Formats: sequence, C-alpha cells, structure tokens
Amino acid sequence: MKVKILQWHAVASWTWDAQDETCGICRMAFDGCCPDCKFPGDDCPLIWGVCNHAYHLHCILKWVNSQTSTPLCPMCRREWQFKG
Amino acid sequence: MEREDADGALDSWAQFCTLSNELLAGDGDLAVGPRLAPVVGDLCTRGLATLVRDYFLHSLEETFRNHAVKKFWQHFHPYCSASTVDRIKFCVKEHWPEEILSKALEDICLERGYQEKCVLVLVQVLQSYEDRMPRKKIKEVVCSSSLMPRYQLMVSSVLLTTLPLSFPDILNIYFKKKLEELNSIMAGSYESDQLVDHEPFQRSNTSDWHSGMDIDGSEVSENSSLVKNIGKVVRDLRCIGFTSMTEDAYSSAIIWLLKSKVYELAGDDYRVSVLWCVKKWIQAVPLQFLHALLTYLGDSVDHGSGSSGLKSPLASRPSSFPGIGVPSEALVRWHMRLEYFAYETLQDLRIGKLFEIIVDYPESSPAIEDLKLCLEYTGQHSKLVDSFISSLRYRLLTAGASTNDILHQYVSTIKALRTIDPTGVFLEAVGEPIRDYLRGRKDTIKCIVTMLTDGSGGSGSGTGNAGDNLLEELNRDAENQENADYDDHANIDEKQAWLNSESWEPDPVEADPLKGNRNRRKVDILGLMVSIIGSKDQLVNEYRVMLAEKLLNKSDFEIDSDIRTLELLKIHFGESSMQKCEIMLNDLIDSKRTNSNIKTSLLKSSQTVPGQEEAEVSHDVLDATIISSNFWPPIQIEDLVVPASVDQLLSDYAKRFHQIKTPRKLLWKKNLGTVKLELQFDGRSVQFTVAPVHAAIIMRFQEKSSWTSKALATEIGIPMDSLNRRISFWTSKGVLTESAGPDADDRTFTVVDSMSDVNKDSIVNERMAEYQMTEEEGESSVASVEEQLKKEMTVYEKYIVGMLTNFGSMSLDRIHNTLKMFCIAEPSYDKSLQQLQSFLSGLVADEKLETRDGLYLLKR
Repeated sequence: MKVKILQWHAVASWTWDAQDETCGICRMAFDGCCPDCKFPGDDCPLIWGVCNHAYHLHCILKWVNSQTSTPLCPMCRREWQFKG
Repeated sequence: MEREDADGALDSWAQFCTLSNELLAGDGDLAVGPRLAPVVGDLCTRGLATLVRDYFLHSLEETFRNHAVKKFWQHFHPYCSASTVDRIKFCVKEHWPEEILSKALEDICLERGYQEKCVLVLVQVLQSYEDRMPRKKIKEVVCSSSLMPRYQLMVSSVLLTTLPLSFPDILNIYFKKKLEELNSIMAGSYESDQLVDHEPFQRSNTSDWHSGMDIDGSEVSENSSLVKNIGKVVRDLRCIGFTSMTEDAYSSAIIWLLKSKVYELAGDDYRVSVLWCVKKWIQAVPLQFLHALLTYLGDSVDHGSGSSGLKSPLASRPSSFPGIGVPSEALVRWHMRLEYFAYETLQDLRIGKLFEIIVDYPESSPAIEDLKLCLEYTGQHSKLVDSFISSLRYRLLTAGASTNDILHQYVSTIKALRTIDPTGVFLEAVGEPIRDYLRGRKDTIKCIVTMLTDGSGGSGSGTGNAGDNLLEELNRDAENQENADYDDHANIDEKQAWLNSESWEPDPVEADPLKGNRNRRKVDILGLMVSIIGSKDQLVNEYRVMLAEKLLNKSDFEIDSDIRTLELLKIHFGESSMQKCEIMLNDLIDSKRTNSNIKTSLLKSSQTVPGQEEAEVSHDVLDATIISSNFWPPIQIEDLVVPASVDQLLSDYAKRFHQIKTPRKLLWKKNLGTVKLELQFDGRSVQFTVAPVHAAIIMRFQEKSSWTSKALATEIGIPMDSLNRRISFWTSKGVLTESAGPDADDRTFTVVDSMSDVNKDSIVNERMAEYQMTEEEGESSVASVEEQLKKEMTVYEKYIVGMLTNFGSMSLDRIHNTLKMFCIAEPSYDKSLQQLQSFLSGLVADEKLETRDGLYLLKR
C-alpha cells in the first residue's frame, strides 16, 4: 500500500518571539494588539529598542512623541533608540 | 217576584246553553247568532255577563281540547312514541315532517278560525247590548273586548299543556330539511351568480339581495314558492301561539346549517381564505331566506292573523316593519348575528387547529389572516392563548421533540402571531412557556447558533430551512432597523410627531402591565431568540466556538458566507462583541495571502535546489491556516509526530514564514487541520479526507505492514487509548485489520493489502470512492463552551470551599452574591447564577460537595 498526500491543510499560530508576554506600556499581550488597533499581527507590529525591550509600535511611538526631552525607554530609562 | 226572576234567569240560561252548544257544534253555521242576541241581552241585564262569558269560553275550550287538539297531536303520534332509533327512519323519509305538519296545521287552523268566528258572534252580541246600555255601566264594557285575547290565550295554553316533548324536534327537523333544500337551490344560483359578478361583496346589502332575487326568475320562483310554504307553516304556528318555539326552531336550523357550511368550507385546508366565501354564503342563502320569510310574514300581518302577544322582540319588528327596499332592522340584526356566529365558529375551528396551522406556517398564512379577522370581530384572544398554550404543552414541549423542531416552531409562531397581533401581547403570553422550556435544554444555544449560521448563503452543506429563514429574518430586521433609525433621527417635524401621538392606541386589555409598554415590545425574532439564552454574550461565545470549529476544519480559505453572517450579527450585537470573531475571519484572509506568498517562494527555491525534486511530497500540497491564537477560543492541543516528510515541509514553511514576517514565528498545531489522502493498492485507489492523526497513523503502515498499538502510539506520540480510538476509523473502513497482539491490551494492526479480497462484493470500493469523515468521527478542535466554563470556574473553587468551611452550608443565591461581592479583583466574578449552579453540580458529582434542602455543604 502506498499513501499519497493530495493536500495537507495544517493549522499554526503565530507569535512575536518577544521575551515578555505583555507590552510594558499598554499591558496588553504582545500577540494581541494595542488598545488603538483592531487587528493584531501586521496591523499592530512590535518594535525593539537597542536596550532589547519590546513594545507595540503604536504604544512606544505615542510615548516617544509625548516626551519633551530625549525619550527614554519606559522600562530601563536608557535613551530610546529603535533597534535596527 | 224573586222566584219569577230566578225562573226567567234559569230559562234564559238553559236557552243560552243550548244555543251556544249548537253554535259550537254547528259546522260553519253561524245562523244561531241572531237568536242568541236576546238571550244574552236578558242574561246581561240580570248581571250574569261574566257567567255567560266564562261558560262560553269554557265550552269552547272543551270542544277545542276534545276535537282539534287531540286530532292535531295524533298526527305526530307515530314519531313521538317511536324509539330514538325509529325516529331516524322518520327523518330519512322525504316529505315526512312537511306533509304531516302542514296538514295538521291546516286542520287546526281551520278549527280555530271557526271558533274565532263563534267568539266574534258573541262579541257582537255583547257589544250591541253594551251600546244600548247607559254610560254609567261602562265598567262592564270590558267584558266584550277582552273576550278575543282570552280566547287566544286559551288556545295556546291548551296546546302548550298538551305538547309532546318531541314536538320541538319535529319543528327543528322540518326547518333543517327545508333550509337544506333551499340551500341546494340557492347554491346553484349563487355559483352562477359568482361567475357573473366579480364585484367585491362590499356592495350594500340591499342591492345584493335584490340583484340576487332579480337575476333569474326561474330560481326565484322556485325558491319563493318554497319560502311561501315555509312562511305559511310559520304563520300557522304563530297563529296557534307557538311563535317563540318556531323562532327557536328556525334560528337553530339556520345556525346549524351555517355551522356545517363553515366546517365544510374551512376543513383542513389552510392554504385558502374561507372567510369571504362564508360571508358571501350568508348573504346568498340564510339572509335571502330570512328576507323572504320576513317579507311574507310582514304582508300577512295586514290580514289580521298577527295574533300572538308572545313574540320575541326580534320577531315582533318584521311584522310591523316589513323590509321593503331598505333591509329591515330585524334583517340587519340577523345579518350581524349570523356573521358573528360564523366568525366565532371559524375562529374556534382555527384555534383548535392552530398548532397544525403554524407547523406549515408560510403556506397556511391565509388561515392565519382569517383567524386575525375573526378575532378582531369576536375579541376572544384569550381563548386562542389558552388553547394554544395547552396544545404546545401537549405536543411540542415534550422530551420527544428535538430542540431544532421546537425552535423552528417557535419562529413560525412568532411570525404567525405577529400577523394576528402586531402589538405582541399575545405572543408574549404564548412564547413564555416555550422560552421557559427551552431554557431548560442544554443544546438550545447550540441549536440557535446553528440556525443562525447554517443557512448562510446556501454554500454550506445541508442548509436547513430554518437557517435560511432566520438569516432572511436577520436581513429583513437589519433593513428595518435602518428604517427605524431613519425614523428616529431624521427630521421628525412637529406635524409628524403630532400624527404619531394621535395614532397612539392603548395596549389591549390582556396586556400584562408588568411587562412594559408596547414600544418596548417590538417583535424582533432575533431579540426573542437571545432572550431565551439570557444574554447575547453567551450566544456570541457559542457562535465563536462554532465558527472556530468550522474555520479550523476548512481545507480552503473560502469564507464569504461567514463574513456575511458576521456582518449581519454585527448589526445586531454591536461591533465590539463580534470583534474576536472578526479577527478570526481576518486571520483566514491573511492566511490565504500569506499562504500563497510562502508557497510561491518555496516552489521557486525548490526548483533551484535539485535535491528537493526527489522529495516524495512537494510543497504544493501544504496549506496552512495561521491564527492569532489570543483571539481564538482555547484550542485542543495534542502532541503528534507527523511523518518525517511532512515534518520537513512544515519546518520549511515555518522558516519561510519567519523570513517573510520577521520577527514573527510559527507554532504548528499539528493535530489540527485536514488531510486529503489517496491510498493506492494494486491497481486501485481510494481517497479519504481525514484529520492529521489519522493520516499520521496510516502513513506509518507504508514502512511496515503491521504494527502493534503500543509501538505505533510511541511512534506517533499519542497515548494508547487515543490511538485505539483513532485507529478504529481505518479498521471500520476496511483498510486495517485488528488481531490479538503480544499483550492483552496490545493489539496488532495489519494493513489489508489487497482490499479487493476483503471487499470484493462492496461496490463502493470498486470505483474511486471518496470518504468524508462524519461529524462523530471527527473530533472537535476547539474546547466546547462547557469545558471553557469549567476551566474558568476552577479559580473560584477555592473561594467556595473556603466559604463553606466558614459558614457550614449556603444556598446557591448566597454563594453567588458572596462571590460577586468578594471576587472583584482579577479575575472578577462575572458568571451567571445558572453557570454557577452547573459548576456546583459538577462539584457535587465529583463528591467534593453535597446538597441538602437546596443548601450546599462540604462533603465530609
């Protein structure tokens, strides 16, 4: 007997491979989305700083834009720079 | 002097007696009259007028009783003395009551007529005496004018006291027979009439009757002679003082005929409206009859035979106001009375069958319309509610009926009753028992959701009617809602507002004041469905689980119908509560894009690498649904070792995903999905669509034609019992055979290499057969709502145990309230009483708790 696979429709879930579970700013799951977004994934990406802390892109942008002086990472207080 | 006087008086008296006897016995000979005058005059002057009168009446009574009455009743004697069985024979005879009745009546009326003349003779004599008397003796005048009424009273009382019990029956039968005869004559003309005039029946009653009478002379003459006969009988009966009995007899005969007509027309066919026909018939037959009869009797009043003072108020009018041109008041009253009766009969008939009518509702809407009109007229809505509820209890709300059927019937009931009563008051009353009952069923939510989703667009398999209907309803409601919104917000000018307030109507009296006013009672099917479940969250949750199940078992990415359903649900439940479902669908759309993206890039690279071409499976066969697991219901995960070749494909795919969507990663749920396989035997192949586990199992048999279950379980990485469960799919399909293995619990499975040997007779296997896994064979990929709930509730178990340790025993309510009060921190307690109850009964089943008199306590 021989088995021929005609179609294998598999199921997978995706995950941001971040060290943490939730975003330090909005406290929402990384695999979810920030409070302003409706859809997770491509629409609401993560971003890492040089300090290796990750946030929702929208969250950290809001944070950076609200800072008058040089923006700092909300977690470690080092100067915030996007990892690149 | 006195003696002479007395002798004279005795002489006159004796003379009077002889003369009056002669008068009464004489056959129509009134010649005695003039001779009587002096004698009576003499007696009167002696003050014996009362004696004269009384004696005369008495002897009249004697004669009447002994001759006429006896003879009269003798006509009916055969029937009255017969047994009930024999009476039926009489009824069957063609001319039976008619001939005998008219003959008897003729006789007795003749007799009575003669006697009346005799009375008149005496009256004349007395009158002439009175005329000669001086005015002061006026008191005695009374005697002459009261003679006639006294005689008439005497006649009817004599007849009524000797009346046989079954005489009313005879009258009744007579009128029934006559009316039937008339009906069959009229029916012919009525039908031809219908062909001629298509005008709606709203034409004024008069013109209708008269046109009916005038259209063709032959029938009119035929039935007018019939009516004349009946009229004669009725007049004669009245004449002898049977007015009210006659009235009773012919009205009950008419009503009986009407009833049988309604039954005949209405029957068990609900697809046609019969009300119009019934009304038309009332106009055509009974009213024509009554019109003719009343006219006939009205004419006869002029001839002075209108004798009785015992008429009912209904009957007294036509004799004084015969209907000429304008229908008389009595006729109008009859018309209303008959119509009311028809409405009531039809209504009772329909209410009795309402359950059946609603079962085939969309087809039976004419019957519903009829019922609506009837109820508007009779106002007996409560009858409908009571009878329908009891038939629901008896026929629908039983353990034997499936939840789907109940729901379907409920939806039909809503639609039907909405037609009858747009305010929804009666629907509320009727719906309550159904809702209560459905709440007690476990699969209600599931069935409702299936009804909602299954009809989606008709692309899904097995679209039930119910689903189609409900979706359609959702659609329509969606449109209505738009309209309503328009009404609410668009410029309602003052004029419109005034009109609205003017058209306000109070609720029907039957409305329950506790249940809010009519504005809140808008009939919305989906709303009513949700109210069965309790909250929309539960419904949305169930929908989410079912949607997840459906999406995960898809082998393609076609979700158009689901998107449509979701859009409709969003309109009803709000965007935010459907958010997660929307993300799930969005995942599918994204997956489709990503999938084709990854596959093209993989195929390109595989062409460049020559080693890949030798792989037994190409990247082409692999598709993947990539989900955002946070937004899906909890998913059943089971370890599974897929065949190496497939594993390779999966990891290639995941790698490519990682490249495209850095830094995101894929986590395979290897036990989920669907696999299409082709098993190739010698010169023959069979296709299967199975779950990955089944595929993994069968693919192992390529390397080795027989496996023990223990070894296979280890190889595939699933527990033994679950392997045994899964492998039975293949044994049932005849691909594998099972035999005793080395251990008692270790079985050996061998592939049936030449399937033709085993299944030679089976035609199914002769051709390329395709097997689809049925629902029972497939396993759910998503945790059911109950399992989820149990998981969520486990958190509270500790609280509950703690509570019970402190308080000893607590009622359900108290536990619920305490949890609500104290569990406000994450995760806050947001479960319903029912959910808590089912969780607690789970704990009781696990022997952690016990119940006593409705209180929960710890099991010791």
